[in-house]
Amino acid sequence: MTAAEKEVPAPRPMNEGRARIRRLLRSGRVLVGGGIVLVIVICALFAPLLAPQDPNNQDLLAQLLPPAWSADGVPEHPLGTDNLGRDTLSRLIYSTRVAVLVAVTASLGAMLLGTTLALVAGYFGGLIDWLVSRAVELWLSFPPVVLSLILIVGFGVGLGNVILAIILVDWTRFCRVVRSEVLVVRRQDYVDAARLAGFSHFRTLWSEVLPAVGPLVLTLLSLEMGIAVIVEAILSFVGMSVESTVPAWGVMIADARKDMFQSIWGMALPIMAIIITVLGFNLLGDGLRRALDPKLRQREIQ
Amino acid sequence: MTRHDMTALLEAKGIVVEAPAGSARVAVLRDLDLALKPASVLGLVGESGAGKSMVGRLIGGILPAGFTVASGSLTFAGRDLLGIATAERQALLGRDIGFIPQQPMTSLNPVRSVGSLFDEHLAKLGVAGRAERRAQAVAALASVQLPDPASLLGRYAHELSGGMCQRVLIAMAFASRPKLLVADEPTTALDVITQARIMALLADLCRKLGTAVLFVTHDLRLAAQVCDEIAVMYAGEVVEQAPARTLLSAPRHPYTQALRNCSPSLDGALLRLVSLPEHMPGLRALADIGGCRFAPRCPISDESCVAAPPPLVETSPGHWVRAAGKCLAAAGLARGEAPHGKGGDGGGLILEADKLSKTFVLRDPLLWWKKRRVDAVKNISFRLRAGEFLGIVGQSGSGKSTLARLLLGLEVASAGRIVLDGSDVTGRFSAHAARRVEAIQMIFQDPQSALNPRRRVASIVTQPMEAGTSPWNARLERAKTLLAETGLAPELAERYPSQLSGGQRQRVNIARSLCNTPRVLVADEIVSGLDVSIQAQILNLLADLRRQHDVALVLISHDLSVVRYLCDRVIVMYRGEAVEEGDTDTVFRSPRHWYTKALMAAVPPDDVHHVWDPHTASSASAPLEPAAET
Repeated sequence: MTAAEKEVPAPRPMNEGRARIRRLLRSGRVLVGGGIVLVIVICALFAPLLAPQDPNNQDLLAQLLPPAWSADGVPEHPLGTDNLGRDTLSRLIYSTRVAVLVAVTASLGAMLLGTTLALVAGYFGGLIDWLVSRAVELWLSFPPVVLSLILIVGFGVGLGNVILAIILVDWTRFCRVVRSEVLVVRRQDYVDAARLAGFSHFRTLWSEVLPAVGPLVLTLLSLEMGIAVIVEAILSFVGMSVESTVPAWGVMIADARKDMFQSIWGMALPIMAIIITVLGFNLLGDGLRRALDPKLRQREIQ
Repeated sequence: MTRHDMTALLEAKGIVVEAPAGSARVAVLRDLDLALKPASVLGLVGESGAGKSMVGRLIGGILPAGFTVASGSLTFAGRDLLGIATAERQALLGRDIGFIPQQPMTSLNPVRSVGSLFDEHLAKLGVAGRAERRAQAVAALASVQLPDPASLLGRYAHELSGGMCQRVLIAMAFASRPKLLVADEPTTALDVITQARIMALLADLCRKLGTAVLFVTHDLRLAAQVCDEIAVMYAGEVVEQAPARTLLSAPRHPYTQALRNCSPSLDGALLRLVSLPEHMPGLRALADIGGCRFAPRCPISDESCVAAPPPLVETSPGHWVRAAGKCLAAAGLARGEAPHGKGGDGGGLILEADKLSKTFVLRDPLLWWKKRRVDAVKNISFRLRAGEFLGIVGQSGSGKSTLARLLLGLEVASAGRIVLDGSDVTGRFSAHAARRVEAIQMIFQDPQSALNPRRRVASIVTQPMEAGTSPWNARLERAKTLLAETGLAPELAERYPSQLSGGQRQRVNIARSLCNTPRVLVADEIVSGLDVSIQAQILNLLADLRRQHDVALVLISHDLSVVRYLCDRVIVMYRGEAVEEGDTDTVFRSPRHWYTKALMAAVPPDDVHHVWDPHTASSASAPLEPAAET
């Protein structure tokens, strides 16, 4: 009897966590998406070590150089230079700092605000649900880009305000989708069972409802990270985000715009950087959801 | 085989259908021999997984992907249904062969009106002219006793009740005057009174038009009343086939005997239910069973059973049994112990409901201030003593689940009081509300939804301890005790709900409710989704728990026989009100209210000599018509 008891592994979060990680590593989407995101985060953290030059170092004798592999390229500037002779590779690498900062803080902020309201509204229902739902509908009837531009004008230009604007515009994405999922979970008997086990409302929300909507929130989070990267690029393109001395992909596109007929590379490379980043976030989000959602997991087994 | 005659309308000979199970292929239908004469009714009876629906799919030519017919023949009116060209088969289906589905609500296209569906069907049958088709549709709907058929043509599935949808589907199936009707559990999704009416209607139409019916059902008693002949299926094989009355009164195969004796009856002595261990083998398990497929669950099996599959033998004219000699020599299954003890008097008063009412306020989703009131529970009172089992009976929508939620505090009563052990626990914020959590627990209806898929079994059954500060080891100990009490192996503690069978899930569900050793259990339709042999296990478990723990139970069910088996007293609810109340024996022997009588009459009887005529069964409930069907 005692030997048999020892063999039963205790169902602790650690074991479940390990099983999840094993499942995650088997998913192609998670590997590719996670790889891209990892590379970008490493670039952001170690930009000074990775970049061959200072991103603001001007070399007016080497303006608008093409990448090293074309006929006129030079090996000192592997991806060429811009109209002021700044090294494109270094600027791309340094730009990930702004992108990652905005992606993480803005989307986490939108997630916290949107998911909290969605949980409260969907779980308690009644007047609070009515108020939140109507607020979301009102919010969604504004064009999002116009709303964020108005907010920036109101708050003033700057990276912090860009993040705040994204949070205030995009919390509705979380709220609307998560609320409908909470409504579904709320109707499951195990939520009532938790109440009958003596759980408080907060505890029921935390340990029964939230884990059930977790995979969805995670998916939305990584989608939102991609969106935040794009919105930041738009705002820095029109000069409402970072100062012009700080490298950002939107700033690079804006700078290269004037000379796009002489050199397409200055524009193409930051656009590609944005595309790859957004793709990485989307793949990661989708892969995480597939690996974490027990319903989808079962379907794959069958 | 000599058991077939040439006059058969539908004839299956030695059919084997194989399906992939891992690397091997398993016979999901094995040696199927069936013959259906014109204008007769053949019942296919079995629990889920028996392969009975596969027969219907075979006729319709819609086997699931990967399933193939390995051998055998299937002929319909002299034509080979297996080798037939697809176009020819499609011409037969819906014309000579009609189908009535299990889920009437989802079988009608929700975005098209009844009229347009009917029109399309009649056009396919070759009825020319829109006006002519309309006239025929109205006549067909009138023939299934639907009120105001002309206005029905403009309505949609969601506007109709389940019974009405099924009538529409029956009208469509009979529009072509089919020779054969395949009815796959046509009344399973409907309540018992509607079931009696639909069966009466089907019997009428078949007699009038001379239609043969292949009636697939899990309900042996219902089949015995409406069929001429019954084939009992288990794990892809016909284990016994006989004229309907013979089969119910003198079953020979151990499985048929168990099937008959594992569901409680409405009349006769109360005997302990026979419960088979485990559950029907799944596809993968079938691959490992060499001999008799019933052997792993059979109470009289021995080593010789696993050697080779037993043959189908004729024990008396027309009575075929798939069994070895020793199975037939056995005197039949003993009916368990003596009647289980229903007692429970002498216990002190523990829970009292005093004029409980609940009114729901439904609000317009956009205009918050626009609202409508619905009375779900009206003035219900009862007193429950320790160890007493109280049954609450009624059909869906009668307010019985709302009553359960009121008792548990998941809803707050609009009026009335709930008194637990002398203290008022009615309000959400009453001083004694916390005591309710310890004293009253719920066994939920649907174990699928009641068990959090992200928790392991050990964590689920000891969830009430999580609110305190018990260390994990203490919880694991408690979990094993609870699993043992509910007849589950301790290894299950580490599994997830998705890794359990339906019966095991329901046991886990019960184990959780016992964690705090409550004094009152509220069980909401806990056996309605289970196969009868699993249902018997759960019902016996509840009876045993009463003996061990002296726990009181409020059992909510639409199934009168379940209530009769377990409960001391019964309350019959109809539209939120208690229409009849009293001792189970008294109420069931001489019901007073017309609704109770209607419910009783709608249940097919256990005794085959007691003729159940669905006509009288449904006419008793005539005043119900507007309520049940709109």
